[in-house]
Amino acid sequence: MSVQREQLEADVLIVGAGPAGLACALHLANLIQKHNAGGKKPELSTENIYVLEKGREVGAHQLSGAIMNPKALAELAPDFEKTAPLDTPVTDSAALFFTEKSSFRFPITPPPFQNKGNYVVSLNKIVKWLGEKVEAAGVNVFKEFGGAQLIYERDGIGGVITEDKGVDKNGKPRDNYQPGYELRAKVTVLAEGTRGSLTKELVAKKKLDNINPQSYGIGIKELWDVQPGKIQPGYVAHTLGWPVPSSMYGGGWIYGFSNNRVSIGLVIALEYADTRFDPHAAFQTWKTHPFVKNILEDGKLVRYGAKSLPYGGWYAMPRNYFDGGLIVGDSGSFLDSQKLKGIHLAIKSGMLAAETIFEALKVGDASAKTLSSFQTKIEQSYIKKELWKVRNFHQGFAHGQLAGFFNTALQQITGGRGLVDPMRAHAGHEAYEKIDGKSAPPRFVGDGKLTFDRLTDVYHSGTRHEEDQPCHLHVVDLNVCATKCVEEYGNPCQYFCPAAVYEMVKDGAGQKLKINAANCVHCKTCDIADPYQIITWVVPEGGGGPSYEGM
Amino acid sequence: MKILVIAEQRQGKWNTTSFETLAAAQQIAKDTSSTVSALVIGKGLAGLAGELAAKSVAEVLLVEHDLLEAYTPDGYCVALSQVIAGAKPDLVLFPHTYQVRDFAPKLAAMLGKGMIGDCIGYRNEGGKLIFMRQMFQGKTAADVTFQGGAPWFASFQAGAFRADLVVAHPSGNAPVNSVKVELKAEQIRTKPLDLFKEAKSAVDLTQAPLIVAIGRGIKAPENIPQAEAVAKAMGAEIAASRPICDEGWLPMERQIGSSGQTVAPKLYLALGISGAIQHVVGMKGARTIVAINKDQNAPIFEIADYGVVGDIFEIMPALTEELQKTKQ
Repeated sequence: MSVQREQLEADVLIVGAGPAGLACALHLANLIQKHNAGGKKPELSTENIYVLEKGREVGAHQLSGAIMNPKALAELAPDFEKTAPLDTPVTDSAALFFTEKSSFRFPITPPPFQNKGNYVVSLNKIVKWLGEKVEAAGVNVFKEFGGAQLIYERDGIGGVITEDKGVDKNGKPRDNYQPGYELRAKVTVLAEGTRGSLTKELVAKKKLDNINPQSYGIGIKELWDVQPGKIQPGYVAHTLGWPVPSSMYGGGWIYGFSNNRVSIGLVIALEYADTRFDPHAAFQTWKTHPFVKNILEDGKLVRYGAKSLPYGGWYAMPRNYFDGGLIVGDSGSFLDSQKLKGIHLAIKSGMLAAETIFEALKVGDASAKTLSSFQTKIEQSYIKKELWKVRNFHQGFAHGQLAGFFNTALQQITGGRGLVDPMRAHAGHEAYEKIDGKSAPPRFVGDGKLTFDRLTDVYHSGTRHEEDQPCHLHVVDLNVCATKCVEEYGNPCQYFCPAAVYEMVKDGAGQKLKINAANCVHCKTCDIADPYQIITWVVPEGGGGPSYEGM
Repeated sequence: MKILVIAEQRQGKWNTTSFETLAAAQQIAKDTSSTVSALVIGKGLAGLAGELAAKSVAEVLLVEHDLLEAYTPDGYCVALSQVIAGAKPDLVLFPHTYQVRDFAPKLAAMLGKGMIGDCIGYRNEGGKLIFMRQMFQGKTAADVTFQGGAPWFASFQAGAFRADLVVAHPSGNAPVNSVKVELKAEQIRTKPLDLFKEAKSAVDLTQAPLIVAIGRGIKAPENIPQAEAVAKAMGAEIAASRPICDEGWLPMERQIGSSGQTVAPKLYLALGISGAIQHVVGMKGARTIVAINKDQNAPIFEIADYGVVGDIFEIMPALTEELQKTKQ
């Protein structure tokens, strides 16, 4: 289908209204306002900053624990303590070790789990608040529009094309068909979050990757309203041990919010051998531990969600600048893999990007050469300082938790260097072992009170998509799923997807893959963890996806 | 500047957005000291032309031809290009209707001109007309203007101007001038058939007192007639859970649940439906729920008033037979 697209030109186009993208927009708007107020030339306009957000509203696709280190927000919005929706300061941080029946609190909480000075927050609320500030500054935020295609220009990009709207299941235009806009910008900022679909394409095409491939985990979360007195606001706990096998890397969290609300979740590194491992079921099982069960008893599930997160750290950080653009936030690997904290680094990366862009706009040059000052700014900031200390942390866990703790201890006393530096990593899916004819264990069934099956949980994610649209999960060759994968790996997509999108159904004598794309919570796990790397996640029609109110 | 408004009629009835566009044209004329003419095209339209002439316009152009009786894009374009060549308007305005979307860009292209479609307003900047059109689903508006010489083409969105603000002719009636156009049958490549009647919405499940709903347990589309037989014997509507409509086995309008219809019938018979929460939210308001499922742990039984653990393929034919007996 050849289409004529409407074109719009901006100075700066930011793809994704998360903490990184919005921090970039807000900081840049502030710099521009100050610049114009000083009467300096060239005059710049905040209205020429565009932000795209694929969610129904700003914040709809934001999911994190979350404990936020406030230092970047303090730089971005110095009055944040008065105006930001910070839920409550951390009052007690515990590290717990779980066995099946009991739990043990580490007498001294190890440094990575200490959270004094940090806040327990809903990332959804923080981002919504940031979005309001950004719009008030005159920036154009386009909700329900995703970046679907890159416009390549020079040795980088010149903008993006938004997704076509009103296309039916078979790719034919419906009556409300509207081709995507061609948005051209002097600088395009990819702030798509974890495993950004445009970022992935660009990094591969322009060979921007670092020495290590990106490593990912999946975080599965539920928000509960519990009985009064079950948990103190500001109490945060991280759990190690049961039910995560010691060969795997992962752990749980329990964060107390105000008003008897609690955020619980489990993070699992997407690099495990057992292709039938089901992260959602592991999370549900974790909830049955007496310690967690006691907190949740007689409480009510409020919301559910899941999202992948980039673990790779410094050595997996792609080159974050190129002709006409920058990469920020999770898309650019700005996450501390040891503390699993990325919000403050995302905000900081967005701010440094804004400073880089501001200089580029003033001199009228957005080539890779000019934008490379982004890298210098990162290296001179606390981003490098924090990520450098833990540059080998996650790789140290490649051979299980025991080796991991040994490596961590060594790294602690050598400033992050450890035994080998840099420690190399493999893509997580390479860890899968073949099933060798072993039959699949029965699937997890929830009790409907404490534990839930995936469909029930997906219902609580508020996920909605236009049903009559092409499938946004592209599988290169469905034959591989129906033949090779059935035999070799037993179709791990049925297990790793936390939203029951992938399902093997009977097809005559054999099986075929059925994709329930409307369930998708945009976590990107399939794009990451498919053993043959043949699943590509692309943006569905804008406005589709979860509704992470309060998450 | 000469402004020409192309009013739209179908089978002798106005598309009333034509008058909104006429109001827009009158305002533009006032702002730019221009004149407005109006045009109506078709066959047997003297009455409609008279109605236009009662408005404040310089003249009404009446374009009639046997081949224009039914709308065709070719017929309209050939005829209108001749009229425009003769009347030499600077600005040609249309209401942004489905018909206009169909032929107006083609007409503009035939004359080598651009067109600004679906405008919501205009501005006069020192004699230069700027048109506003919405982008990003109305979240922002873009200013657009013409390059190159007249005539310029633009259409206005329904509701952008108020039809009741059309100014009547100050002294009674404007002249109605018939314009002859040359049109041959072979120039028209499309053959209009009968007009579609408004398709009757096939089913309104929300009004159905009895619903028979099928789920994955039905296994294959070949088995659906068995469930339809039950529905027919009961006088019920057939409906389904998402997977069935997702596969295209039943149309989407028959889908019950969070992404489909919400219903509250007197009786809801669930055949082979497991009862995922996404389905349940669409039917839990039913007065009586009867569920048949072979899995005794299926969550549907938690909300069912009557539950049968059994094979729907045994039960459906038996049920149909019994229901038919009661009718005899």
